[in-house]
Amino acid sequence: MSKKINIKKRYLALFLIPGFTLVAIFVISPIIGTFIISFETPSGFGLSNYYSVITQTSPTKALVLLNDMPRPPPWGALIHNLVWTAIHLPTTTFLGLVLAYLLRRVYGRSIVKSIMFIGMVIPMVVGGLIIRFMFDKFIGIVPNLCGLIGLTWLDKSWTSYPDTALLALIIGSVWLWTGFSLTIHAAAIDSLPKTYIEAAKIDGASDWQIFWKIIVPSVRAATLTVIVMTMLWDLKIFDIVYAATKGGPGGASTVLAFVMWLYFALDLDYGKAAAVAVILTLLTLIPAAIYIRQVMKRG
Amino acid sequence: MRLSRAVSKVAAYIVIAVIITAIVTGSAVYLAMREHMPTHTVTTTIYKTTTQTQTQTQTTASPTGPTVTLMVYGPWAGDEAKYFQAVINAYEKLHPNVKIKYVTMRAEDLAAAMPIQFAAHTSPADVIFTPWAWWIVKMAQKGYVEDLSNVINANEYIPSIVKKVEWDGKLWAAPFTMWLKPGFWYRKSFFEKYGLQPPKTWQDFLNLLDKLKKIPGIKNPIVSGDSTGWPLSDIVEHFIITFGGPQLQLDLISGKVKFNDPKVKEIFEKYLIPLIKNGDFSPPIEWTTAVQLWWDEKYGLYFMGTWITGMVKDPNDLAFFTLPGCKGIVGGADYAFVPKYAPHLQEALDFIKFVATKGQEIHAAQPSGKIPTWLKADPNKIWGPMKQVYMTVKEKGLEILPDLDDSVGGDWQKLFWDQLKLLWVNPDKLDQVLNTLAQQFPYKQTSS
Repeated sequence: MSKKINIKKRYLALFLIPGFTLVAIFVISPIIGTFIISFETPSGFGLSNYYSVITQTSPTKALVLLNDMPRPPPWGALIHNLVWTAIHLPTTTFLGLVLAYLLRRVYGRSIVKSIMFIGMVIPMVVGGLIIRFMFDKFIGIVPNLCGLIGLTWLDKSWTSYPDTALLALIIGSVWLWTGFSLTIHAAAIDSLPKTYIEAAKIDGASDWQIFWKIIVPSVRAATLTVIVMTMLWDLKIFDIVYAATKGGPGGASTVLAFVMWLYFALDLDYGKAAAVAVILTLLTLIPAAIYIRQVMKRG
Repeated sequence: MRLSRAVSKVAAYIVIAVIITAIVTGSAVYLAMREHMPTHTVTTTIYKTTTQTQTQTQTTASPTGPTVTLMVYGPWAGDEAKYFQAVINAYEKLHPNVKIKYVTMRAEDLAAAMPIQFAAHTSPADVIFTPWAWWIVKMAQKGYVEDLSNVINANEYIPSIVKKVEWDGKLWAAPFTMWLKPGFWYRKSFFEKYGLQPPKTWQDFLNLLDKLKKIPGIKNPIVSGDSTGWPLSDIVEHFIITFGGPQLQLDLISGKVKFNDPKVKEIFEKYLIPLIKNGDFSPPIEWTTAVQLWWDEKYGLYFMGTWITGMVKDPNDLAFFTLPGCKGIVGGADYAFVPKYAPHLQEALDFIKFVATKGQEIHAAQPSGKIPTWLKADPNKIWGPMKQVYMTVKEKGLEILPDLDDSVGGDWQKLFWDQLKLLWVNPDKLDQVLNTLAQQFPYKQTSS
């Protein structure tokens, strides 16, 4: 029996070759090329591109700007990415899980889910523009709401001010990405045997207890998928920033991918762009590794 | 069993072969790219003047023959695109075998997307229009642009405009029509309604702002346009030219004077910052939305280029004033160039020749808010309201100066815009903004 499985595996490997070949040519080789270019300097090979991008002090391209802290952004693209992840990741994950749980008994939940999922379907550039308008003093819902409830210091165009630009993008991205978390969690909750919840109810458990003691542990695998995918999305974020703030004002909302784009497309400095790309890739490898490990564990 | 072992061996060999192929391909891609990578020794020669005798050559596309579709990329959208369409229509009428497809692409997007295309020895466009002369020269230095020295005669254009696209003794782009950034626009009817007058002194200007503030419905006296940041830079340049003189504008462009120089700082501290702090400027508002708000009398004044004349309901109700004492205004042109890898090179060159000459007359006759840079163009054909603006500029003897950020260009231009957006909402950061602009200025490039 096991020999048969081995033979099957070997044949499977053979069938994987065409796909692997394409991946090797179109994914792996450009990665290798980028890696090599990141070490290319006018005088040969070296670490000067890395040194230069890490020590950069221009607010639009700095990765880390920690002078005179604490103060409003700019803090540097890398810090902005980390702040983004720190706020966006738990908010999106938790919001998606809670909504999935609450919506499971609501009439017309499919429509609500579809509406929530729109954020995932629309192009991110469009999402960025919507965020810009959403936080605009004149036509945006958020500043106007803030003004109505007496938060006058927030009744302004959020994307125009350094203290609120990054926050506007993060809040906007929560709206865009929650649909993903909701869909994954809803599917996981739907797949749970109803008897779990029914039994808990018979035992007198409250909705709150069912949520924390049964739902949350049962959908752990789905939550991990959401966490990892969200982390990857947060690290790679570009379109929203480009469309809504262009990294400004004063570099207050730059992110790694945007800095890479600046080096690549505006400066035509491929070496430094490649260095930022490598840093970004290394960072994205962390959640990717967690995910792959988890998948292999499950497999 | 043997078969399966053989299969697995073959599979292993193939996987190894694929990995080796990937490495080889990766290295090949790298080596191929290396050929096109910038050397970082490029020097900008915006102000290099070349004296050369131009000779016109025949680059005319046959009006008969197979139909060709030219792809033309330009920055105009909406009504502005409509005015450019008139030029296209005129050309197509003369050349029935040429169809022109116009695609809107802003200068920032062109600068982001095209170099990658050019590096791959391809171009999606036959002719490209952009106001960024520095970028065209940069592309020419990389060998991506067709030399136009023998297509149009450089001596037939406004010298300060044409020299921006000259490099290495050659002409790399054809100047198209020109805009001016003459000052603060206002509605004549609005000023009449409230008994307001254009200011003659700085104190008059401050009094005008105070009067505007008191008018019911006025949010701020001056609306600040926002997009990527250029409308704010136009205001700043106007203050620099007014209070520092035209030479200061030129010295800042060339890098002779730094942004944190005391005389620059004084202009900001004494004139601009108090206005921002006093709420005389609105927070940055998307610039086309701002046009409507200003026209609807939510704001009294708007600093904008002459293209605004083509964006309002009644251009005859428009008037402008410069800050009192101003001796110069910023002016600039759009440029058309042909990428070396244009799919229809001959037809593209012929189109360039047309737009740079008769095409300018046609464009300036539209409500485009532009004037020709071609000295042989008939001034009587300029659209009425724009002609009026041009005559006022001439009467006042205002010197036409290059745009600061468009001249410096590159990454600094983006930084400049971004820092001014910061300053507008946080005027207390003046020192930080000026120091950042001074530190990041590409001195080596422009001082050579």
